[in-house]
Amino acid sequence: MKKKWLSLCFCWFALIAIGQPRLPQNYYWQKLDNGLEVVVIENHKVPLATIEIAVKNGAYTEGPEYSGLSHLFEHMFFKANKDYPDQEKFLKRTQELGAIWNGTTGTERVNYFFTFDKDSLEAGLKFMNAAIRFPIYREEDMQKERPVVDGEFQRGESDPGFQLWIETNKRVWGDLFTRKNPIGDHDIINTATPEKMMVIKDKYYVPNNSLLVVCGDVNPDLAFSLAKKIYGDWKPADMDPQKKYPIPDFKPIEKTNYFIKESSIAKTPTMMMIWQGPDFRNDSVGTLAADVFSRILSLNSSKWQQALIDKGFASSASINYQTSRYVGPIEIDITPIPGKLKECYQEVMNQISKFDKEDYFTDADLQKAKEGLKRQQIRQMERPSSLASQLTFWWCSTSLNYMTDYFPAMDKITRDDIRKYVSKYISGKPYVAGMIINAEMSTQYKPTDYFKN
Amino acid sequence: MKNIICCLIIIAAISVHAQQSKPYDMMVNGVKVIVVPSGNEIIQVSLVIKGGVQNYAANKAGIEKMAMKALTECGTEKDDKNSFKNKLDEVDGQVYGYTQKDASYFQLNCIKSDLETVWPLYVDALTIPKFDAKEFDRIREEAINNLRQQESNPDADLQKMAMETAFKGMDYAKSPSGTIDNLKTLTSTETKNYFKSILTRAKIFIVVVGDIPKEDLEKKMGSLIEKIPQGKTFELKRSSYVPQANSFVPKQKDVATNYIMGISSAPAANSKDYLASALASNMFYDKMFLEVRTKNGLSYAPAAYITNGATPYSVMYVTTKEPDKFIAVARNTVDKLKKDGFPADDVKNTKTTYATYQYYDNEANSSLCSMVAFNELEVGDWHRAFTLKEDLQPITPADVNTVFNKYIGNFTWVYQGDPKQVNPTLFTQKATPPVPAEKKAF
Repeated sequence: MKKKWLSLCFCWFALIAIGQPRLPQNYYWQKLDNGLEVVVIENHKVPLATIEIAVKNGAYTEGPEYSGLSHLFEHMFFKANKDYPDQEKFLKRTQELGAIWNGTTGTERVNYFFTFDKDSLEAGLKFMNAAIRFPIYREEDMQKERPVVDGEFQRGESDPGFQLWIETNKRVWGDLFTRKNPIGDHDIINTATPEKMMVIKDKYYVPNNSLLVVCGDVNPDLAFSLAKKIYGDWKPADMDPQKKYPIPDFKPIEKTNYFIKESSIAKTPTMMMIWQGPDFRNDSVGTLAADVFSRILSLNSSKWQQALIDKGFASSASINYQTSRYVGPIEIDITPIPGKLKECYQEVMNQISKFDKEDYFTDADLQKAKEGLKRQQIRQMERPSSLASQLTFWWCSTSLNYMTDYFPAMDKITRDDIRKYVSKYISGKPYVAGMIINAEMSTQYKPTDYFKN
Repeated sequence: MKNIICCLIIIAAISVHAQQSKPYDMMVNGVKVIVVPSGNEIIQVSLVIKGGVQNYAANKAGIEKMAMKALTECGTEKDDKNSFKNKLDEVDGQVYGYTQKDASYFQLNCIKSDLETVWPLYVDALTIPKFDAKEFDRIREEAINNLRQQESNPDADLQKMAMETAFKGMDYAKSPSGTIDNLKTLTSTETKNYFKSILTRAKIFIVVVGDIPKEDLEKKMGSLIEKIPQGKTFELKRSSYVPQANSFVPKQKDVATNYIMGISSAPAANSKDYLASALASNMFYDKMFLEVRTKNGLSYAPAAYITNGATPYSVMYVTTKEPDKFIAVARNTVDKLKKDGFPADDVKNTKTTYATYQYYDNEANSSLCSMVAFNELEVGDWHRAFTLKEDLQPITPADVNTVFNKYIGNFTWVYQGDPKQVNPTLFTQKATPPVPAEKKAF
């Protein structure tokens, strides 16, 4: 009898464990009946609480007719709702709570967060609830917010780095560029309507597409109980929006594409090269290998840094991979010393051609990169209020298990994993290369002669 | 969405309940060392060299920044540049310097268990830097390129223009990054000699945030400071900035919107008006956000803040497609606040917001270190970093309204964009321009 009872218990815990993601110490997870996932992170370093809601929305859900509207929606979140019917009242409430607040829209996540005194937890959760579930979209509010969002876009366009990013990414993602461009399209932003906002709300702002995180100097039991009380009657969508509105597959870059953009505001040239890289769905080991490889190339002792920085060809040279659920970009950014533009470019290409060679990095470099990553983990945990945003990023673009296993899994990455990553995504693969340069330097250094396929 | 520029530089720290013990200071070989236990695994050290732009002539601007960079990029007597950097990479140790208007900061950030590896490198960089000529040539080219990049960045370029315009003839007109012409003529020998002249016990203090036993810390600090000469007594000079009239300087630039910054006066951090002005500044930002962005949809990024350095000043900043309407809204907002004052309720709420910001900045050793250094350098008493919440309590709405009226007066405006899109008279005329009627959507 006792044995049977024990095995029944084992089965019960195993069932719970199936739905329960792996989480770091002091992280707790529950899923409400309506599908809303809730994570509580207990950290008593300072007497503050942070609440964040993340929604699986953003550029990746946007076809051309909605380009930039996840971002506009994010702005409208802070405008008006049933409890605070205009933004003046909304702002007043943030001041009463003494809240630090913000929202961001990325490629695969939209998130909203408030940090305030720990004693305001219930008030903060109610405040967030009113904004996320009961927004009010008025034409006159939208008329005022459209130029604000467009103004954010114009600020970007005033920066040569942003101009280069836009032009490069248009060529990398082709017809699906809107799904990688959170800032969007001027015309779409400036003609957005309350009806379009409601479409986004109804499609994506549902509990079974959202994650609530409560973080800081909080009691987990109380936080879960408040979450259930306040968000438990949020009506779910009839099916998972990620399945109902599938994301089209990105087409591979057909052939290598070079361009040069002249701009009077680019006082020094910059270069960008992008490949289509791995994603969480299809190659999670590749995503980790990408991060380790990028880390190796950031080491002073790496061949990359020695060839470009130590030799004085560039003032900065980095390679980065953006972890994504849908095809992450691998991006090289170079700021060449103008007088050595040609040599710099040639050396970049020389280095890329060696990425897949056995001796491109040493075992010591690999070990150093891993040691660095372990310390990065400690630093990442330092600021409690940042833990919510770190977690929601992983939830949207990968999974909570991926987040929890990230550093241990990274430690297991081998030379072979990195070699596979480089040969699968970079070596000999088509890419887009762009340069932004002013007319005077273009005439002087003639990049058109050599910055080409 | 909300630009956190409203978070004032003066935000201070509050002792946290998770800390293991209280902050303290000690004198080591005549140098003040301020220690803040943190209860975590990270160590942050900042050696502050006072003076900043007061340390060099305008035609040498950039030399201090180059010196700080050279400490970690041009080797030491024990390690060449690559050996030095590779040792740091072994443990992801961060040793770096940076410069601001009133001081330079040489920083160490590492995991506690790595301190014995990183600390000797930090000491070597400060006390036996090599300033290798070949490496120096390389970082000089990089610095020149970085200056060009700064010029490409519209905000950095606007800020530089505002400083040069408002503080013409004053120390604050100098940019710590220098100019391309200045940098071109700098040599490693001159920069090394310059660094020797500023690294003196009389000019420095040190902040440590982290859990290091006092005895061990005293020993480490003693062996560092004994290698640093005493030098002449130094006191940071204070000056005020009060524009006598509104002014407007435009610059043609091919950007997608209009960039505008205005500079006015502000109280010093060690003055009696400081705390009230901090609250006023925060509330002024909130009002600007409400009027410029929420009610009129004029900008993504309106900002208002004060900086409380050796030459304190207030700032209004915006990027907008409608500069004329912006200035009308901004000036009417100022007038209304001067006439009606800030509501008592807002003053109370802003004190609460301050407390949140203070705890928020307490979360990381690096931000805590910055707050303590700021209070020691600018307020003259690092303890103030831990008492600001209490210090703010006695401030009344009347105090706040008084300082706002006292300091927010004429503005020195600078503009970048297409000057045809802006009417300078609206910025400079004595009378506040009326706000244009709102356009209807349909």
